[in-house]
Amino acid sequence: MIKISVIILQLLVFILAAPFLSGLITKIKNFLRMRQGESILQPYYHLAKLFSKEEVVSETTSWVFKAAPFVTIVSSLAAALLVPVFIFAAPLHIAGDLLAVIFIFALGRFFLALAALDAGSSFGGMGSSREMFISSLAEPVLCLVAATAVLHFGSTDLSAFSGMHALSASVIVAAMALFLAVIAETSRVPVDNQETHLELTMIHEAMVLEYSGRPLALIAMASYIKQMAWFFIIAQIVFPISLPCFTDPAQAARWILWYLSRIAIIALSMALVEVSMSKMRLFRTADFLGFAFVLGVIAIACAILGV
Amino acid sequence: MQEIVLIGILISTCLMAVAKRLPALIRSFRYQSFFLFLATFLVAWKEAQPDLYVVAGLLLVIKAALIPHVLYRIINKIKVGQDLGLFINTQLSLLCALLFAYLAWDFSSKLIVYGSHAQTGILSVALFSVLIGFFLMISRITALAQIIGLLVMENGLFLLASAVSGGMPFFVEIAIFFDVFVSVVIMGFFIYRINKFFTHIDVNKLSNLKG
Repeated sequence: MIKISVIILQLLVFILAAPFLSGLITKIKNFLRMRQGESILQPYYHLAKLFSKEEVVSETTSWVFKAAPFVTIVSSLAAALLVPVFIFAAPLHIAGDLLAVIFIFALGRFFLALAALDAGSSFGGMGSSREMFISSLAEPVLCLVAATAVLHFGSTDLSAFSGMHALSASVIVAAMALFLAVIAETSRVPVDNQETHLELTMIHEAMVLEYSGRPLALIAMASYIKQMAWFFIIAQIVFPISLPCFTDPAQAARWILWYLSRIAIIALSMALVEVSMSKMRLFRTADFLGFAFVLGVIAIACAILGV
Repeated sequence: MQEIVLIGILISTCLMAVAKRLPALIRSFRYQSFFLFLATFLVAWKEAQPDLYVVAGLLLVIKAALIPHVLYRIINKIKVGQDLGLFINTQLSLLCALLFAYLAWDFSSKLIVYGSHAQTGILSVALFSVLIGFFLMISRITALAQIIGLLVMENGLFLLASAVSGGMPFFVEIAIFFDVFVSVVIMGFFIYRINKFFTHIDVNKLSNLKG
């Protein structure tokens, strides 16, 4: 019974907080650019708007087009349940580890790419071909990070990292590699741009161009949840939190503050990267992710040397 | 702490292998020099040697500030565009860098049999830096990349000296710094002349006769 309530609580936390994280990053970016910018709650308004609109489906589509948003959102939520968030163990940590998270996200992306091809528009095909190109480069990096985690923490289970304080060179390098891969995974600036709908550059947006109304809201929600899950994974690798002791209120407050600020640190560095870099050409992203791959190899070498 | 600084040197050296434009290359050279400064500063702090503080300060001033500044000025002055010109593309360069890292590590672990892990680490990063400097000199077309390759090799040799013999004597160190700085200025002037005579700094075409 406790187990089920923890699962429901974690799902609610992800659904309610994930758009806020996206809004927070946009807010930081606008602040850095000396702009007023949109409200921090804009993603919620966006979702509410999309949920109230009716759906338009092309006549040439098959069942894949209708199923893909649901597969995407369910895969995001399932992966989110494997990430430890507000207690030490992930609610479903028996069911899978870091590798499972990587491939559950890959399932959602696969269906989205299929759906983009299904509608038969030229942008959809372009978007899914690009998305597959980038994810095929990002996946090896993620696997290298998982291998580093095995060597350093002795387990790929994300819940097992909790309570470990060893901040070593290998973990820092692995977290940097993961950060670069997450930039590609969450379609942020040097690889993709979430803010624009320019035909020539968009990747993720090109795939979901055919969607409207509620399915589009589900896809947007799925990408918010995916981003939040990756942020928690980075936080779990580079800043593993200690066990809380809630006997003393001051200590508990400090723990909660640190707990939230580590996510804020990652959001801030993501915003800084986005503001300070310009979008790369598509084939230049191969260099970008190749560099992340080399970082992953260095992380493994450090983990083997034990530093 | 020391490992993290060493990893910083390693990563900034890898960044040079992916750099496609001159400003990016100079920026990563600046990062490398900064991490080298941190490494020297840490050694000075640990062993409480006042003259090493001076060496670290010179590193920061000359290699992390002055030399990049001079190089930026050369780029702005000769106006040849910012492309580095690659004989070997970036992906292949990264693979070469990985290979060099392995070779450096293998060599240094065979060389230092009875030493500690840290010593092997410093030696392999130093050798890696020397190899990457060499690689940059060979595989990049513009003449400025060759200066930077030389400087990267020099950084590697500095680290090598501090790994093997605990640093060179103080006056030798200072003399080397001034030599490096003067050589950058002279080579910069040289590039400026090449650009004036040939209207490019492509070393590949320097063997052509000018009629």
